[in-house]
Amino acid sequence: MPPRLNVLSLARTIPYRPKAQAQWLSRPTMRLAPTQTRAYSDAKSEDKVPAADRSKRIDAKPLGHVSEEASQMADITGGEGPDLSQGTPVQDIVKGDKKAQEKLPKVMQEQLKSNASSAPKGSRSYSTTTTPIGGGSGAFDMGLMSFTSPPVEAVPAAPGLKFEMPVLPLPKDGHVKHRYDPVVDQVTNLLMRHGKKSVAQRNMALILQQLRTASVPTINPQRPLLPGAPPPSHLPLNPVLYLTLAIDSVSPLLRIRSQKGAAGGGVALQIPVPLGQRQRRRIAIQWILGAASKRKTNTSGKTGYAQRVASELIAVIEGRSSVWERRNMVHKLGISARANIVLPRKR
Amino acid sequence: MPPSTCLRSFSQLSLDSTARASMASRIRLHPQMAYFSTSAARYANPVSKKKGMAQAAKKGTRTLNVKKGRSSTQDTGKRPAQGERKAARKRIVLTNDNALEVASLKDITKADALSEANQGRVLGIPEATVDALRAVEAFKTTQGWSLFRRPATLIRKETIELAKVMKAAEDQRKTLRRILSGERLSGKSTLLLQGLSMAFVREWVVINLPEAQDIINAHTEYAPLLDSQPMQYTQETYTASLLSQILKANNTAENPMLEKIKVTTNPVLPLTLPTDATLKQLIELGIVNPEASWPVFVALWQELTQPGRPPIMLAVDGTAHMMKESDYLNAEVKPIHSFDLTIIRHFVDHLSGTKSLPNGGVILAATSQSNAPSTPALDFSVQVAEARQADPSKTPRWNPYKNIDPRVMEALKDLHSPTAKEEVKPLDVIKVGGLSKDEARSIMEYYAESGMLRAKIDDGFVTEKWSLAGMGNIGELERASVRLRI
Repeated sequence: MPPRLNVLSLARTIPYRPKAQAQWLSRPTMRLAPTQTRAYSDAKSEDKVPAADRSKRIDAKPLGHVSEEASQMADITGGEGPDLSQGTPVQDIVKGDKKAQEKLPKVMQEQLKSNASSAPKGSRSYSTTTTPIGGGSGAFDMGLMSFTSPPVEAVPAAPGLKFEMPVLPLPKDGHVKHRYDPVVDQVTNLLMRHGKKSVAQRNMALILQQLRTASVPTINPQRPLLPGAPPPSHLPLNPVLYLTLAIDSVSPLLRIRSQKGAAGGGVALQIPVPLGQRQRRRIAIQWILGAASKRKTNTSGKTGYAQRVASELIAVIEGRSSVWERRNMVHKLGISARANIVLPRKR
Repeated sequence: MPPSTCLRSFSQLSLDSTARASMASRIRLHPQMAYFSTSAARYANPVSKKKGMAQAAKKGTRTLNVKKGRSSTQDTGKRPAQGERKAARKRIVLTNDNALEVASLKDITKADALSEANQGRVLGIPEATVDALRAVEAFKTTQGWSLFRRPATLIRKETIELAKVMKAAEDQRKTLRRILSGERLSGKSTLLLQGLSMAFVREWVVINLPEAQDIINAHTEYAPLLDSQPMQYTQETYTASLLSQILKANNTAENPMLEKIKVTTNPVLPLTLPTDATLKQLIELGIVNPEASWPVFVALWQELTQPGRPPIMLAVDGTAHMMKESDYLNAEVKPIHSFDLTIIRHFVDHLSGTKSLPNGGVILAATSQSNAPSTPALDFSVQVAEARQADPSKTPRWNPYKNIDPRVMEALKDLHSPTAKEEVKPLDVIKVGGLSKDEARSIMEYYAESGMLRAKIDDGFVTEKWSLAGMGNIGELERASVRLRI
């Protein structure tokens, strides 16, 4: 059947010119008259307060603005308040006042927003690092040492001692079982295969030697290392710190424990579990070693594996390693599984 | 159809010409009969090849692999080129850009290279000498050059001992021979390197056989030397490469020694040498024509031993390898003794003292403890010499149950039963022992200044590392302090 002829449709386009409108003028519709009101900031003297403040009762008087309030408080506490001769910035006035903030101009609103999240764009508002145990500058062993020997306290000469009393505190490597750096020790043990510790130790020494002779790493700002890390030019001269920084920077904060039956229906419930420092390092080292063993060998001989591990460590510091993705994945999963945590009821 | 069967059928047809007349009638009678060949039936079902016999898949190509448990991802990356991995393993790195420059480091100079005042100091090796040492393959991959800004060595007690020997050889035009012995990692090869660098700085002619094992392990071609009794064997390729090393090391821009010296004797060569030729041209002739390399080497030696020429330093590392039978076989399929290879014969003749250097010089032979075949004769000779240095009355006796190599005993006669009564013995052992604590402190301060050792160098620290290193064994000291080898 032939299609029905649509009478309403036009067989050809008809030129259609709409009626010419009056040209839009960039002219305000309402004329702005000079404002009749005066702001507080215009007040030059005490007697020129606005009409509303003429009440004699103290409780009926309006509160002073932010700066005045602060200066009054300072008067009471005996400190130094803000300078009242200066105007109060609008940002201070609307601070903590959500409704007032909505009325602000767009520029200032955006500025407020950008100030609210001080973290750089593209990063999370929550932290994905931990405060190291010991805190602050004690986070890394920078390998620094004081060249002034500690003042020796006058130790009373105890009779019957063959040698002098030891100076306290005992040196870090004073204990025979903890004489080496803990990270180096842990990596050596994880490098070990078939109980061959001396092979692992040789590999460890070769790794550190590689880190020492490789060129200075370039840090990728997208993959920030631990806060408080030394500048990259310092790293090759301190290979143990280099190793520690690489491992601690990619170590995950948590692991996902799959609890069977907790979700019902045969589905395992995924619960994030926080890890201790040694556990976190262990996971990071295993990731790094796994990634290194997937690399291609470029040399023959005994140094091959050590070279691969060293280049993986450098890749971690430079942010090129796939280990970073792994860490991010674990953290992402951990965040989504936060809801599964059941805290014990308080009694 | 295989062609042989067809041809045979054709030939049978042609031979059977008498039957040709009756053939036409037969064809007419049995037109469907295939009597021409039976091969079609015979080869109807050719035996197909076994599946496994198919050519193996090339490396890097993707193949269908549905088996469980196999990793699905195959490494399709480019394989390293032939020899690339070995080159990376053998590469010698002499600089570390991360290491700090040591401001107080001075170079060895020609004036005080052999002076005793340097003992206990760390001295740098000048750049030109480094190039020359690299040319003669004096640097080893196992040594720690790659950790520091530039090559520098500690002038230790044994170095001074060697310097004295070199001074005596230079001043009195003597031929002095020394064997470097000592424990593993005690610095024998480094002492050899120091001897070579002192010789380069003093503008001697240096000929170094970097590793004796490479000469005797039958990796290069060999040929009997004509008119030699007993039969000797030349190694043309090896000799040619040795000549190129000699040229590169001794004819540097600073000291173009070989260019200056003219050929004065009239050497018998299989190739013609231009008149008024220099030693450089002579050597180049041997490099370009390996078949003439041995006569060129002999002619070169003849030239260098003419009066008025500089002293000679002749050195070898891994001596034990040349004190036994080589891996080469003669025409009777018996092993050739190393002393019958011309290069080694040349060296051993000088080491044993049958030939001497008229312009003076030093023959140095470093032993090795990590790569050494058992050579009872050499071991015994060295033991006797070491014991005599300690206490002349107590020298060990030969163990009669050990297999003696009479040729080696004969060559090292001056070592185990010396006759010379001079103060400076012509053939002796330099026992490379441990560092003293002062020397250890000096080298550790150098480590710390280079930024490779992060520690306060005080007496306690030095003593601790010195003891850990087995009473100052320098290799162990380096391991314990800079290499971070636990």
